[in-house]
Amino acid sequence: MDTEKFIERAQAVAARVSRAADEEAVAHLIAEDQTRFGAENVGVVRAACGIAETGTCVVITDDEETRLKTMLPEVSVIVLRADDIVPNLADTAAFLRERQSGDRISYTSFITGPSRTADIERVSAIGVHGPLDLHIILLEG
Amino acid sequence: MSHTPPASNREYHRQIADSLADSFLRRTLDKFAVEYRASRDKVFSEVAERELIGRIAEVKDSAAKHIEDLYARFKQEAERRGAVVHRAADAAEACAIIAQIAAENGVKRVVKSKSMTAEEVGLNAHLKKNGIDICETDLGEWIVQLRGEGPSHMVLPAIHLSRDQVADEFEKATGEKQDHEDVQRLVKVARRELKPKFHEADMGLSGANFCIAETGTLAIVTNEGNGRLVNTLPRVHVALAGLDKLVPTIDDALTALQVLPRNATSQRITAYTTFIGGAGPCAKSPTGRKILHIVLLDNGRTKLAADPLFSQVFRCVRCGACANVCPVFRMVGGHRMGHIYVGAIGLVLTYLFHDRKIAKTLCQNCIGCGSCKAVCSGGIDLPALIGEIRARFSREDGAPLPARLASVAMKNRTVFHTLLKFMRFSQRPVAGTDGFVRHLPMALFGKHGFKSLPALAPKSFREQWPTLERRPAQPKMKIALFAGCAQDFVYPQHLKAAMKVFAAAGVEVVFPMTQTCCGLPLSMLGETATAKEVARQNIAAFAGDCECIVTLCASCASHLKHGYVRLLGAEAEAFAAKVIDFSSFVHDKLGRDVLRLQPRPEKVAYHASCHLCRELGVKEAPRELIRRAAEYVPSKEEESCCGFGGTFSAKFPEISAELMRKKLENVTASGATRLVLDCPGCAMQLAGGADRQKLNLRVTHIAELLADALAIGLE
Repeated sequence: MDTEKFIERAQAVAARVSRAADEEAVAHLIAEDQTRFGAENVGVVRAACGIAETGTCVVITDDEETRLKTMLPEVSVIVLRADDIVPNLADTAAFLRERQSGDRISYTSFITGPSRTADIERVSAIGVHGPLDLHIILLEG
Repeated sequence: MSHTPPASNREYHRQIADSLADSFLRRTLDKFAVEYRASRDKVFSEVAERELIGRIAEVKDSAAKHIEDLYARFKQEAERRGAVVHRAADAAEACAIIAQIAAENGVKRVVKSKSMTAEEVGLNAHLKKNGIDICETDLGEWIVQLRGEGPSHMVLPAIHLSRDQVADEFEKATGEKQDHEDVQRLVKVARRELKPKFHEADMGLSGANFCIAETGTLAIVTNEGNGRLVNTLPRVHVALAGLDKLVPTIDDALTALQVLPRNATSQRITAYTTFIGGAGPCAKSPTGRKILHIVLLDNGRTKLAADPLFSQVFRCVRCGACANVCPVFRMVGGHRMGHIYVGAIGLVLTYLFHDRKIAKTLCQNCIGCGSCKAVCSGGIDLPALIGEIRARFSREDGAPLPARLASVAMKNRTVFHTLLKFMRFSQRPVAGTDGFVRHLPMALFGKHGFKSLPALAPKSFREQWPTLERRPAQPKMKIALFAGCAQDFVYPQHLKAAMKVFAAAGVEVVFPMTQTCCGLPLSMLGETATAKEVARQNIAAFAGDCECIVTLCASCASHLKHGYVRLLGAEAEAFAAKVIDFSSFVHDKLGRDVLRLQPRPEKVAYHASCHLCRELGVKEAPRELIRRAAEYVPSKEEESCCGFGGTFSAKFPEISAELMRKKLENVTASGATRLVLDCPGCAMQLAGGADRQKLNLRVTHIAELLADALAIGLE
């Protein structure tokens, strides 16, 4: 149920969602994007978890390179295991707390759809400073 | 629209006239107001709205109380993760600290993501003065920066500008011809122009939505993706935030994050929510680590935290919802509805953080409809705070003449009522026979001529009382009637209709003659001492035995019920508990079998008075009664303010007129031939407007509709 809700909510904010049965299917989907948009225009990262309520991917981006992969390329691909989807935003509290325990330094990104703005006449526009396209690959099974 | 704060009331009215004449602004804000309401309702239907708002209020109230502990914890946790935390006492110190950080790190170029706190301290101007190039990267902020303006909305900074105006600015900035129609293309221009700036910048400057004390973490909410570039690409990151952004735990931030985006932009969550827990790796930094400075701004906040009333402003999460629903904002735009911060909270923060003189002018421009309070993310009682600011100005600067006169006259009921009778005598030559002032040239009224003015009734309700039937043969219940000045002296027919309804339902009515004005106008004018005095007079007048104290005026009802407890505390509680508005009384206390109604073949629209639907939360009872008495035709924006707002319509007739026009337009479109309401103030405004516009629309109190629909002879 969380998976279906996740898909509905992610699509509602203009994310593309694909389902993959295994790693091989994931690799295939990524290769497709790279062919279509050019490998240099596609950034691929893995999500730590997802949030069904909001269609969000939670990505550990402590390291600068991973972070930039979700920001600079025009196409952002995030691979998310369906098993890692939690129902609600509030359910991420324990995860966030664990990430910041002791004196650990962290940078956690909650990503929901491609970058967007409504700053000109409240007209919705996709792709401002971040990706124009967010492709979520749901790894099931 | 330039963004100069008003230097005087006269100047302010001139600016308002300009805004009202700006047809693009009016169209945009009208559309926004309607669409925002609908999308907000939709996105909040998925969560427990009131519960979440209650939790935010609780967390932030507690944060205000423990501000020093939270600050100490945050500093310790952030610094053990490699950040440097500064505390700035005021705007000048915040600017100096940031300029110093820039100097120490050889910073020449700064990219900035959205920060209202930076606007508050005037950071851009300060850094520019120090020879630093600072570039806004949020699209809306960049546009207003190019125009040399401030934001006109906390979340939608350029909402006052058309695509055409934006294209003009982009042409100047790029030296290239731009598409004036295609918004998507204009957005691409910003992407292309700003991209190199992120890479070239030495420092990124951001705000923060939450500073989480338990882990020293910054939580930042954005949509465009510029925020993450700002805090990632340059080697230095400075985050500037008010001390009010401190929250104890991650859970607290996650609670508020369920409300902030929903309230700000009707999103479940924004595209990016970022949790920065310390100074992470950074390729461009000489040490390989990000140089992270967090500047927490006081600027009066610790003093506020200790204030029993104003500590509520800590609950503000800067979502901008108070502007989105404000009928005045809708008319005049953000540059006229705040100085730096915008909306109802903007009026309050202008007083608390900025210029006292500007605040004194701006604070008058609240109609008191309570729309902001009803949607505020932290449940801040914004109208009460604005009222208190007006009261303070009255106390500190001396009240304006009308307020002083009202105060003197109303303190003594006999004097007040004698004065009203004198006014009735003196209006005789001009009063028409239909309840309106008729025999004066409209030119005399100037800006106030948008509605016909009601005449005082030839005989007040209290003068007619001895002749009225008030005790049925076998009374089922006994109530006391609170008349309110407007119905007692202008619209006694409202009360007489109610008497018919009471008689038909077997209700005995008492009318204490020593009752006086409820005192709401005095509270609105900031005359608190006299307001308390008349409250005590009314409590004494209604000390006798009765089940309920019924009033036909929504404003009086809300003031008697909530205002008295605010003014007098426990002393007013027993009285307040008995107070009930007419519609609720008839609907809740008299059963369908007690009050029989025969539906009339009449299309009736409803205007939900602000004080009834928001202050008292009464929504269903009047609509249900209309359905029982006639054919109820819903109209658009039933709960929008009519523009009366007590003294507001006299102070800002130009805004009042526009609100009234919109309201009557919606009602007329419904096809109704009668409009009913629960408040004599709204009746004055809307009956006066309908008369002036010669509409085929009767405006009556709901009691008059019920009296007309009484099923006499059915028994």
